[in-house]
Amino acid sequence: MILRLEITLMSGVDDGLHFNHSTENGDGQLDDQRWTISIGRREDSDICLRHDIYVSRQHALIYWDGHRWWLQDCNSTNGTFIESRGADERVSGTIPINPGELFRVGRTWMRIEPTE
Amino acid sequence: MPAITLRDILINARQETVQMRHFYIGVEHLFIALLQIQGGLAGSILQSQGLTPDYVIEAIRRKAGRGTPQRLWVGIPYTPRAELVLDIAKEFALETGHEEAGERELLRAILEEGDNLATRTLRMLGTDLESLAQAARVYTSTTEAQPPDLAVIFGANFDRAETIEREHLFILRRMFASYPSIRVERRLTGFRKALILVVTPIQADEREAASVVAKIDLADNILDEVQRYEQHVKSALPLQAARLEDPPTAPEVSELAGIKYTLVASSGITPEDLRTRVRDRGADGLGRLLKQELYIRFCKNWWHQNRLFRFQVWMEYDWLLPPILTLDAVEEAEPPANACILHIPFNRARVKTRLKELEFGDTVILENFVVQRVDYQANVLKLAIGYGDEADKRAYKVEVRGLNLSKDHFYRGEVIERLVGRVWKTRHDVLVEAALALHPDFDLRSRWIPTGKSRVLNPLLIYDDLLDRHINGSQSKIHGDLHLGNVLIGPSGSMWLIDFGHTRDGHTLFDWATFEVSLLGDAVMPGLDESWESARLVLQHILFLNTRTPVKSADSRISAAMEAVEAVRDIVEECLTDETRWDEYYIALGLCALRAITWDTMSLGGRRLMFLLAGLMALEVNHAALVPDTLTPSPDEDVALSPGASTPKTDVIDDMTPGSQGRLDIDSPRHRGFNQQSNEPDL
Repeated sequence: MILRLEITLMSGVDDGLHFNHSTENGDGQLDDQRWTISIGRREDSDICLRHDIYVSRQHALIYWDGHRWWLQDCNSTNGTFIESRGADERVSGTIPINPGELFRVGRTWMRIEPTE
Repeated sequence: MPAITLRDILINARQETVQMRHFYIGVEHLFIALLQIQGGLAGSILQSQGLTPDYVIEAIRRKAGRGTPQRLWVGIPYTPRAELVLDIAKEFALETGHEEAGERELLRAILEEGDNLATRTLRMLGTDLESLAQAARVYTSTTEAQPPDLAVIFGANFDRAETIEREHLFILRRMFASYPSIRVERRLTGFRKALILVVTPIQADEREAASVVAKIDLADNILDEVQRYEQHVKSALPLQAARLEDPPTAPEVSELAGIKYTLVASSGITPEDLRTRVRDRGADGLGRLLKQELYIRFCKNWWHQNRLFRFQVWMEYDWLLPPILTLDAVEEAEPPANACILHIPFNRARVKTRLKELEFGDTVILENFVVQRVDYQANVLKLAIGYGDEADKRAYKVEVRGLNLSKDHFYRGEVIERLVGRVWKTRHDVLVEAALALHPDFDLRSRWIPTGKSRVLNPLLIYDDLLDRHINGSQSKIHGDLHLGNVLIGPSGSMWLIDFGHTRDGHTLFDWATFEVSLLGDAVMPGLDESWESARLVLQHILFLNTRTPVKSADSRISAAMEAVEAVRDIVEECLTDETRWDEYYIALGLCALRAITWDTMSLGGRRLMFLLAGLMALEVNHAALVPDTLTPSPDEDVALSPGASTPKTDVIDDMTPGSQGRLDIDSPRHRGFNQQSNEPDL
């Protein structure tokens, strides 16, 4: 099965930028259990946010476990957040995330685009 | 009304993004630019929906957050989304037969795109975007007036030469937004960059409210001060005290913030700081006021809250001194195998030995140091072994130069796992440089420093050993930065403390050592010239104070100020843990004096006195260590100390402490180049 992930940045200097990843192209980390896409300031991150200084070198992971998408904060300095009733709520550990839901890594808002 | 062109809007957007330190143009900046047009279409439509433009602008700015001063790209690019919106606006313009998009087309495009930060904020505020878009197609705007700003006038005591920067005025206006006007009475002198003003708010009926002290500084510092106030100060203030009653004013759009100290006193009083008072009207009667107005009033909850506290001196005082090392960062290639590694936890004895061996150009690896401050202006990263209120966590300061701070970002409080650098300067180099700047008329390499009839120890050769000593002292709530500028005095002599940015639980006597240094520098020395002779004259008087001999025959130019110093010693006597062990105070005073030799805010004469004072205190401490605890040291027993002793003997340091503490590379401490040759003392 081919997995695809499209992420759109929703704020910052790269607001509106799309990242397209797919297992077909060998993006991310694929093993028996899951397909993982890394987010961080490091150049080798799958989603490299070099323009946001509030993003840690290795900040967060998004992975597909065969059933749904998960968002995991990698003990980042400035945190990963989701929008919850108008306020930003800090993510600790791993939470489920749905396409269309906004989440924030450092200062950068982003979301998973729904795919068919 | 002249038509607003796209160019006008983009100029607004550019100003907005620079003010917010974003340095890119996103849809949010375009939208704010539209809202900032006086009587513009976007603002009028929002108002018809019950929202003021300012409110929406604030909400968007809060959502976007303010950026940081450093820039990661050139120019001011458009975001991909802003380009999309501008394209849509162009489409709208073509549809309606215009060459170029204007206010209406841009507004429609932003609402049409609908996925941007501006529309997300509007949705969050409960706005119906559909009816906004509807209105944007048809609305015809009417112009309207903006409410006037708060008027700021300057009182007679405000120095006309001083200007208040725009950003500071912006905060000041926010702080007093509930008044129609304010009068700035005077600026209080402080060493740090904070702006401290005495301000009288004026009500609508022209009645004047009681003056307050307004302090404006970097938001980080202000919020830190508020936190310390809440934690240490609030519950411990006497009735008549400067209080923080309102929350800080820290608008998201500025990196500055402000707080108001309310002086609980009868209104109509405009206080001044003690430094200004002494400068303008001398120190007469100051000693009595210090005891009655400052000490007695505050001691109950502050310095008398002492608990027994045994500590090694470095734990309380190391952070006062210049950084132990200033490093030039190097790319992390292969550090030499023998590189010095400093890591937490520290073994002080081992680290001390390692530090003594370090030479210019040696490689040092720092592990798990904590960022205390990122100084973008000087491009210096300031690290220490920990982070928090306690002095010992701020000890072992290291400064690192030559990092690209705009590329590799560091945050206050961040733990740096590993950082490699080469030694540029040691603490010793910094102190020697400061001492050389005093143009010593004696040999800076000798163990003894002549002081006229007597002599004192060379503080440069002894401070590191002082840091090793154990002190049986006491700990209490301390102000942490008790100098003349932080004490306010009213016309009747009432005193208030302000500036709680360093307040913590710490060594009780630290406050009074700081205050004595401030008195000597700001009240005593201005009465004399800047020569070494004057410094030695004051030192002689201090020598009398050390024997607790009343200052009867002090030189008339400084007698009032010396009485104030004597009052400080009376206060110290009450705060000593063991009233026969003055070394608890002398060690604090000596290290406070040593740090002051590096201050460029202190006069040359003052710094010369500080050098000698540090040496005298080192001698007193050594002396105290020689006598059994039960005996009161009498200065007459020490030949070196007693006035009229034989001429000073100049020892050379080889016979003293081994190791590089005794090494004084006076000739070229900082321009030695990268040669790794040994630096044996050239004596």
